[in-house]
Amino acid sequence: MSLAILVGTRKGLFVLRGDEDRRTWKLEEPLLPGWDVFHAITHDGVVYVAANNFVYGATVQRSTDFGQTWERSEGLGLPEDSGLTLEKSWHVEPGHDGTFWLGAAPGALFRSEDAGETWAPVQSILEHPTRDRWNPGAGGMCTHSIQIDPHDPKTMYVGISAAGVFRSEDGGESWTPANKGTAADFMPDDPFPEVGQCVHKLLVHPAQPERLWQQNHCGVYRSDDRGENWERLEGNGLPSGFGFPIALHPRDPDVALVVPEEGAENRVTAGGRLGVYKTTDGGRSWALSSNGLPEQAWVAVLRECMSYDHLDPFGVYLGTQSGSVFVSPDEGEAWIEAASQLPPILSVEVGEWE
Amino acid sequence: MPSLLAEQARGQKEFEVEAPTVGAALRALPLRDLLFDERDELRPLVNVYVNGVDARERGGLEAELRGGETVRVVAAIAGG
Repeated sequence: MSLAILVGTRKGLFVLRGDEDRRTWKLEEPLLPGWDVFHAITHDGVVYVAANNFVYGATVQRSTDFGQTWERSEGLGLPEDSGLTLEKSWHVEPGHDGTFWLGAAPGALFRSEDAGETWAPVQSILEHPTRDRWNPGAGGMCTHSIQIDPHDPKTMYVGISAAGVFRSEDGGESWTPANKGTAADFMPDDPFPEVGQCVHKLLVHPAQPERLWQQNHCGVYRSDDRGENWERLEGNGLPSGFGFPIALHPRDPDVALVVPEEGAENRVTAGGRLGVYKTTDGGRSWALSSNGLPEQAWVAVLRECMSYDHLDPFGVYLGTQSGSVFVSPDEGEAWIEAASQLPPILSVEVGEWE
Repeated sequence: MPSLLAEQARGQKEFEVEAPTVGAALRALPLRDLLFDERDELRPLVNVYVNGVDARERGGLEAELRGGETVRVVAAIAGG
């Protein structure tokens, strides 16, 4: 097995093959050409892809031979009594004990107990009592973040734009809004509502799972109590609170990396450069961590387009809408361009490849 | 079938099916989920031709097939 970057693009899935040195990457021919690959992961030797097509709809595609052949999940759709039809598949997340979760639009979550062969919609999300206060963001009303407590299979979180963060303590049977302290500045009558926040990416720290990080439409936040309360963290080195992805250190819960953008009305990297900003003190201060990244750039890095590995030192991976993949093998200290001239990048994950 | 659909059927572009109507023929395919949504509605950007004629001119999915006819799926011409 070797290390690979799975790059989901507007026109297929690209795989970059490398090794633990993470300085040399080989680009392979695209898989699933013609499909919008919103998210792709490998898990126990199986590739799972949230793939969408503007004619043929939303799918989950699985491959047990690393892309030589594909199977579509069956029965992917929303129940008639919901009054909704599936728009897009967004994010595949492995859970405990062989369970898989799929985030989708509009505001949907699916659960699979057969490794993604079939999916059942999670009714408690479709019927959530606050649902009439959810609104779609620019990318539709997408369930883009699914995070599961690594020690407790009953505790999990979803992030839905623009509905906010929700926590479940019963394995997805019920969900409590977890947005206290996160702003919805675009709602002038009530900038701190119970729900309706535009979370852009939510991550649970793998080593300290009561600590959550989120990049939101309105700021970067940290919670130390499983989302009960959130602290807004910008204004101390970050050029902007607006951005989409966030990456963490696999072992140190005080480290996070973000890619600030100018703002909601001009979604390009802040300051006319591709700037990754890193904190090592829990978000109290941030510093530019962009050695090797373009110093003149007006690009965008979407919510699924930054990832990190669990090696030591840990690597960070990001992809731009301009089709470049950048890798830092040393925790963000320095970056190399691993690929360029790809189609617009929708997701970046790192995993094991045959 | 267009290439993208054929790839989803392990490369098979042509299928022989026995079906009384256009809709029944399409629903007999292993690509049914890509042609129809979960309400069993033909996806709006999927066009269907029977012997070169737009199926809508013959009654759409309900149009009867007489046998030996060719049903062709054509994706809307759009993209970027």
